[in-house]
Amino acid sequence: MGMFKSSEEFEKVIAGFFNLLADTPLIADKLLKAKMVIRFIYSDPDLTVVVDCSGDKVDVRPNDTDTKAIVEMSMSSDIAHRFWFGMVNLTKALTRKEMVAKGPIPKVLKLLPAIKPSYAMYPQYLEANGFGQYNITKSYTPPAG
Amino acid sequence: MLPEFFEFYNPTKVVYEDGVATDLKPELDIIGIQKYFIVSDHVINDLGLVQKVADGLAEAGFEVTGKYLDVAQDARLKDVQSCADQIEASGAEGIMSIGGGSVIDTAKAANILFSEGGDLVDDYSGAHTLTRPLKPHVVIPTTAGTGSEVTMVAVIYDEDNKEKLLFPDKFLLPNLAVLDPQMTLSLPPKMTAATGMDALTHAIEAYVNHQTSPISDAFAAGAIELIFKHILNATQNGDEVEARGGMLIASTMAGIAFTHSMVGCVHCMAHATGALYRVPHGVANAIFLPFGMEYNFEEIKTKLARLAPVMGEDTTGLSEDEAARQAIAAVRNLSKRLNDLGVLPLRLRDVGVPEDGLDAIAEGALNDGSSFYNPREMDEESLLPYIQNAY
Repeated sequence: MGMFKSSEEFEKVIAGFFNLLADTPLIADKLLKAKMVIRFIYSDPDLTVVVDCSGDKVDVRPNDTDTKAIVEMSMSSDIAHRFWFGMVNLTKALTRKEMVAKGPIPKVLKLLPAIKPSYAMYPQYLEANGFGQYNITKSYTPPAG
Repeated sequence: MLPEFFEFYNPTKVVYEDGVATDLKPELDIIGIQKYFIVSDHVINDLGLVQKVADGLAEAGFEVTGKYLDVAQDARLKDVQSCADQIEASGAEGIMSIGGGSVIDTAKAANILFSEGGDLVDDYSGAHTLTRPLKPHVVIPTTAGTGSEVTMVAVIYDEDNKEKLLFPDKFLLPNLAVLDPQMTLSLPPKMTAATGMDALTHAIEAYVNHQTSPISDAFAAGAIELIFKHILNATQNGDEVEARGGMLIASTMAGIAFTHSMVGCVHCMAHATGALYRVPHGVANAIFLPFGMEYNFEEIKTKLARLAPVMGEDTTGLSEDEAARQAIAAVRNLSKRLNDLGVLPLRLRDVGVPEDGLDAIAEGALNDGSSFYNPREMDEESLLPYIQNAY
């Protein structure tokens, strides 16, 4: 059983955060420049979210299974949650198949520096939006670098 | 401090001996197939190296079912399909690639299609998408730089979309890497210097970035020591087997190191410079290497201080800062000595980069995926002065 009890609860948390990123020019501008369309496929609980950066603004669409994505990232909701804290070792996650990336890897790698500032935003977002119970940084010291 | 997590996976058997590329029966008997298809390029073929290996195979009772020699300077997507089709049609059971990084990467990608069928982009784009071992792949490198004979990545250029595709997968690791100095004797001095500095950059970046582990460190440090010992001699005296052998082994060790630890800001800047101004990868890495070490100085000085003696520097009585700066000076001095030989440019202005193009290099470097692994958080404002210094 994962940290999130239902797809609806996880959707509120993750889609809300993606919408915050979409409204943050520091991050959204770089995503729009990449013109990426990513489908996140989460499990335990199940949820699909498309983040579409192909237009003028970043469009976040939960439960969109029709759009043809450029990249698909599959992972558990717990791994996704930890990722946005900056707590997931990507090499470990990819080699151990905790995350499965399908699509052009250089484009995915190019996005990583763009989203790095979001790691600091995630715990603040959780606290500010009534999701404080999911803030696992309270007892965590992030690694250097 | 030990890393929280690391994985080390290196199933590629490495064999080294002067002349071993023509005497592979013991190694190939263990692999257990008889029919090999050779992937190479016209330059290597014209030097007689392909025939030399093919003759050795025939003498040992193995069959060469065909050759694909049309690999270009960049491993191209269209060549991969064509190469795979020819391998399949020839009735081969495995692949032997003879060449530099482009040849090896073309063979790696072709082996995906040869073994599994399908379309490379549609079916295998992503990370670690393969689910089982591919058909046997034996690699004989003819340059000492890329380390592709021991890396789990194939880099393929998509000409239609003008982008480099990356296929990282542990099943791409070759079965056998054959390090034979005879196969690199004809590498020209400029190529020897540039590919050697590429290997040095792999090793130093693998040693200092934050994906490092004690095991990758050991390979990186070993590579650095060998490169400092042999690169000048290999460049000046190309027919010296000892120097060529040292560089081949170093390149392979650096490859093992960086396929586990990744690379950082030097590669970011070199990738951007290569994409914008077609500066050869090894040359760009060589130019940026000391500046990248300076950029990361505060984060990596402890490890740089450890590298200085590996580079042959006497650090007795020096502080950590001083020893670390000595490591950077040693790299700079090595480049200078290669420059004195007329084989390695030292500045961006010497390789056709315009002064008004430096901002674009900084922007490109920040968008490079390797920036994620750099020990210092990269931003344009802090990086640009170092690129300007490299100009």
